Amino acid sequence: MRGSSFLRVGQAGFKSLRLHKLRSMLTMLGMIIGVWAVITLVAIGEGASYDAQEAIKALGANNIIIRSMKPMEDKVQIQGEMQWVSHYGLTNADAARILKTVPGVKRVLPILIHRKNVLHGKRNVDCRLVGTYPHYPSFTQSRIVAGQFVNEIEEARRENSCVLSHDLAKKLFAGENPLMETVTVRGFESWQVFRVKGILEERTDLEKLPKNSNVMGKTLSSNVYIPLSTFKSLYGVKNIDLSVGSVSSEVVHLTEIRVEFGSVEEVIPAMDLIKDALDKGRNGKVDYEIQVPINELNTLRAQKARDTRLLMYIACISLLVGGIGIMNIMLATVTERTREIGVRRALGATRGDITLQFLVETLILCLIGGGIGVVGGWLFATFRHNIMHTTTIVTEWSVILAFGLSVSVGLVFGIYPARRAAQLDPIEALRHA
Amino acid sequence: MASPDIIELRDLGKVYDLGAVQVPALRGLDFVIEEGSYTAIMGPSGSGKSTLLNILGCLDRPTSGAYFLGGDDVAVMTDKELSQIRGTRIGFIFQSYNLIEQLDVVENVHLPLFYQGKDIKDCYDHCAKLAKKVGLGDRLDHRPMQLSGGQQQRVAVARALVNEPLMLLADEPTGNLDSSTEQEILDVLDELHHEGRTLVVVTHDDAVAGRAQRVIRLKDGLIDQDLRQVPTVDRTLSE
Ligand SMILES: Nc1ncnc2c1ncn2[C@@H]1O[C@H](COP(=O)(O)OP(=O)(O)OP(=O)(O)O)[C@@H](O)[C@H]1O
Ligand SMILES: [Mg+2]
Repeated sequence: MRGSSFLRVGQAGFKSLRLHKLRSMLTMLGMIIGVWAVITLVAIGEGASYDAQEAIKALGANNIIIRSMKPMEDKVQIQGEMQWVSHYGLTNADAARILKTVPGVKRVLPILIHRKNVLHGKRNVDCRLVGTYPHYPSFTQSRIVAGQFVNEIEEARRENSCVLSHDLAKKLFAGENPLMETVTVRGFESWQVFRVKGILEERTDLEKLPKNSNVMGKTLSSNVYIPLSTFKSLYGVKNIDLSVGSVSSEVVHLTEIRVEFGSVEEVIPAMDLIKDALDKGRNGKVDYEIQVPINELNTLRAQKARDTRLLMYIACISLLVGGIGIMNIMLATVTERTREIGVRRALGATRGDITLQFLVETLILCLIGGGIGVVGGWLFATFRHNIMHTTTIVTEWSVILAFGLSVSVGLVFGIYPARRAAQLDPIEALRHA
Repeated sequence: MASPDIIELRDLGKVYDLGAVQVPALRGLDFVIEEGSYTAIMGPSGSGKSTLLNILGCLDRPTSGAYFLGGDDVAVMTDKELSQIRGTRIGFIFQSYNLIEQLDVVENVHLPLFYQGKDIKDCYDHCAKLAKKVGLGDRLDHRPMQLSGGQQQRVAVARALVNEPLMLLADEPTGNLDSSTEQEILDVLDELHHEGRTLVVVTHDDAVAGRAQRVIRLKDGLIDQDLRQVPTVDRTLSE
C-alpha cells in the first residue's frame, strides 16, 4: 500500500482506539484473561508436576521398593489365645536371592522399621526406628548433615549407635548439638539407650508429593537409624503394636527391601524375575507389594501430557471466545465508523488501506491484551512462587503459545470486519448517518 | 477561453438499480468544464446534483456515457486507480464537514497525504500553513469536537487543498452554516478561484451560485439551463 508504513498505520490505529478507551479495554479483557489463564494454569501445573517428579526421582529411578504387606487371609487367623500374631513379609533370604538371581541388580538394601517413642531429657517424640545397613545414605541419596552414618564395624558388633533424621534432631535437641549425646528409645518390651553418631537428611520431600499417590506409603520425618544387626538382637522380629487398641503382634523380618539396578533401562524387564525370586517358597501367599518409581514417573509424565493437552484446549477455547468478542466489537465499530470509512475513501484511501487500518486496530488490541496477559500471568506466577512458596514455573512455550494464539486470533477475527469495511461502497459509506 | 477542459462529459447517465425499480438519476449530460473555472450546479431536490458531483469526484461510476477527467476515461479505471485519482487530483468539501474525530486539525488536513504515503513529520509545515491560510493558525492541535461548524468547514477546505488537486468539488459546503459564516467560507473559495483553481459547487442558494462564473441548472437528470455570468464579487469589485 504505497509506502504507508506499518508504523504509521499503527499510530493511526492507536489514535482510533484511544478515542474509546473504555471500550478498547473491555474488548481486550477477553484476550487478557485468556492469555493470563494459559500462562498461569500451565505454570501451576508445571510447578506441581516438577515437585512430584523430583519426589519420585528422589526414590531413585533405577530403584524399586519391595514392601512387606499383611496378606488378607492372615487377618482372620487366630494364633495363640490372647493375641493376634501373624507371620508374613520379606526376609533376608529374599534380599539375598534377588541379588543373586536377578540380572542387573547392583545392590539391595534391607530395612526393618518399628514405631517407637524416643526420649532425650524431658522431650519425647514418636518416631520410626529404622534398622538398616551402612550403605543406606548412598542408596537413598540422603545427605549426612553432621557426624557420620553407622558403619560396618558397628553393624558387626551390634553396637547401640544411632543416627537421627534432621527433623527429629531439631525436635529432640532444640538447637543443642546432639552428637555424642544419648537418646532413649522406649518400646513395649524394653527401653534402650543409643549414642547419636550423626544427623541425616532424607532427600525426599514428602509433602510435595501429589495427593492420593501411594508413592511412598506413610513415612514419618522423625527417624532413628540403627544397625540392622543391633535392631534384631535388641527387638527380634516380633513387633507388638498397641496402637489399634487391642494388642496385636506380628512377625516381620524385613519391612522393606530396596533394590538398585545398574541402569534405568534394566528395571522394567527385571520385574518378572523379581516376582519369581520372591514367589519361590511362598506357596502363592502374597505378602509383599512392589513399588516401581520409574513406572510412577512415567505415569506422572503421561498424566502431565494429558493435563497439558487439556489446558491447551481450554486456552484455545478461551482465546476463541476472546476473539469472537473482539470480532463482535470490531464489526460494531465498522458500522459505527462507516462514514469515516467513506471519508477516508474519498480522500484517497484504497480498499487495502482500509483493510489494513482495521486489521491493525484489531491486532493492536490483541497485542496489548496479550502483552498485559503475559505480564499478569508472569507476575502471578512470580508472586505464587516467591511469596506463597508454591513451586510455579512459567514455561517459555506457554508464553509463546498464548501470545502467538492471541495474535493469530487477532488476525483471523480481525480480517472479516476489516474486509467488510473495505468492501463498503465509498458513496454508500458517506451517505451513512 | 483558451484553458484546456478538465472535465468532459459525453451523454453521461446514471441509473440506480434498486432491484425492483430502476431510478434514473442522470439522463444524458453533455458539457465540459474548463481548468480554472468556477461552476455552480443548481436544481430542485432530487434533480441529480449530488449524483453528478459524486461521479465527477470519482466516488461513483456512470452507468452510461463517458467521463473524461483531464483526458482520462474514468469508466475503465480500477478501484485502486480511482482511489489514486481521488487522493491526488480531487479535493472534496462536504456539507457535513466529515472530519475524522480522533485526529486534530493538522492531522485531518494531512489525511490525503497520509494515503499518498507521506509522513506527517515531513509535511507538517505544509499542512500547518494551509490551516493558517483558512484562519485556523491558533487551533492546530484542536479536535473537530472543539471547533465551530465554520471552523470545521475551514479545516475541510484546507484538507481539500493539501494535495494540490486539479479541482475542488463541494456539495452544499455552506448548507449547515449561518449566513455570516457562509460568507467567510465563500470568500475562501473565491480566493482559491483567483489563485487559479477549478471549482465545482453544488448549491440551493442563489447567493452561493452568484459567486460562480457559470451556473448549470439540472432538472430530472437533464441540463435545464447552462448560464455564464459575471460573479458577484467581480461585480462589486468593478463597481
Ligand atoms: N443511493 C441511491 N439509491 C437509489 N436512488 C438514489 C440514490 N441516490 C440518489 N438516488 C435518486 O437519484 C435522484 C437524484 O438524487 P440526488 O441525491 O443526486 O439529488 P440532489 O439533486 O442532490 O437532491 P438534494 O438537493 O435533495 O440533495 C433522486 O431521485 C434520488 O431518489
Ligand atoms: Mg444532494
